[in-house]
Amino acid sequence: MEKFQRYYLSFLLLIVYTNTIAQVNCNAVEGEDCKKACELYNWASDRQGSRVSQEAFDKAIGLCPDFSNSYMEKAVPYLKNGDFVTWKILIDKAVAADPKMHLGYRGWCKFQFLRDYKGAIQDLEELKKYYPDDLGRSLNGDYHLEVVKAMSYSALGQKEKAAGIIEKVLVSKGYFKGMYDHYQLGVTYFELGRYEKALENFEKQSKENNFAENIYFKSKVSKIRNKDYLDLKKLALMTYDEGKTMKDVYTHHFNKIYRKQIEEL
Amino acid sequence: MSCQAEKSVSKYPVTVGDIEFNEKLDDPDFKKCTPEKLISLQYYQGTKGFDYKGEKLAIIEKLQKEKISSETKMNGYITVRFLVNCEGKTGLFRVQQMNADLKETVPDKELGDRLLRFTKSLDGWIPKEIKGFKAGYYQYLTYKIEDGKVSEVLP
Repeated sequence: MEKFQRYYLSFLLLIVYTNTIAQVNCNAVEGEDCKKACELYNWASDRQGSRVSQEAFDKAIGLCPDFSNSYMEKAVPYLKNGDFVTWKILIDKAVAADPKMHLGYRGWCKFQFLRDYKGAIQDLEELKKYYPDDLGRSLNGDYHLEVVKAMSYSALGQKEKAAGIIEKVLVSKGYFKGMYDHYQLGVTYFELGRYEKALENFEKQSKENNFAENIYFKSKVSKIRNKDYLDLKKLALMTYDEGKTMKDVYTHHFNKIYRKQIEEL
Repeated sequence: MSCQAEKSVSKYPVTVGDIEFNEKLDDPDFKKCTPEKLISLQYYQGTKGFDYKGEKLAIIEKLQKEKISSETKMNGYITVRFLVNCEGKTGLFRVQQMNADLKETVPDKELGDRLLRFTKSLDGWIPKEIKGFKAGYYQYLTYKIEDGKVSEVLP
């Protein structure tokens, strides 16, 4: 048992390490109480989800209620652990204190964790008032927030609008492509029955970052067109088994395809 | 900090989301596996993340066969949180309901009970492995409800 506990603890230390990404430079914070709150915030962020961490966030909020990061970071473990009621109460306070900083994050979380498409669109439209030229990216970096908005419209049945948003963002000046942009655009075209445009995007996706779901859709297009699709199906299954799939630590990706679906193609 | 203050009861559990045994709700025979002094893992920790036999699709397909719906035509979310133990068995189930605005709401008891029974029936959870040792973890399933029907299963 002792050996198990040692492994278990080293595993938990790794988790703590991976949580230490939210640090703030407190020298830039004005006011003694708010500076103290910022330091408490940094300390507590390293201990995410623990009792001492939540208590430290409360102290930080007491010292400086305007330091919105404390609400945001205190909310995170509730989000990850499925207590969305508590998460929403806290993240709303962060947004109320600093909408410019937290609206994009709340909108992304509504999409990623709750598939609350209307809520995500609402937040991201509101964010546009603060960042009219560039909404920025999702917290995990996978998607530009315009693409998140597009996927939300797609889920609500507005596929043409969704495709238009992604097409526009892909040609915008200085745009840094997301991991799955062409795939999501390809699936949207596929759902519209525009297979040529779909395939064009799946091919582009293949060249940049290929994965089983993308190959599955290429195979599906071939099948619809009565072309040989079995080699692609086989490749999709092989790629799936190699672990090259759409991955998200906390949730499942929008338009994710499972192994059984590939098998049944 | 004084010793007295240290002993005062915190409003927070050791880790956010910890579920304490409740004799009115929980099966006394359910084995927790993890020693009380060690904190419990969450489903997203480790190399595999969400780990169910047949993937999440198996849960979605099983749910579709059950045809669970509500006459109240509610819109919102029903979340069931629980613990998967080192043998892959489940226990300590807790239910939370919220409306489409993500606020706690008066529960649709019948739908909540049916989804709780469904969640309890799932038997494909795979325990985590740390250097050859099996470990339990907290898991949740959130059912998005539109017009009284489950439209999505999360995470």
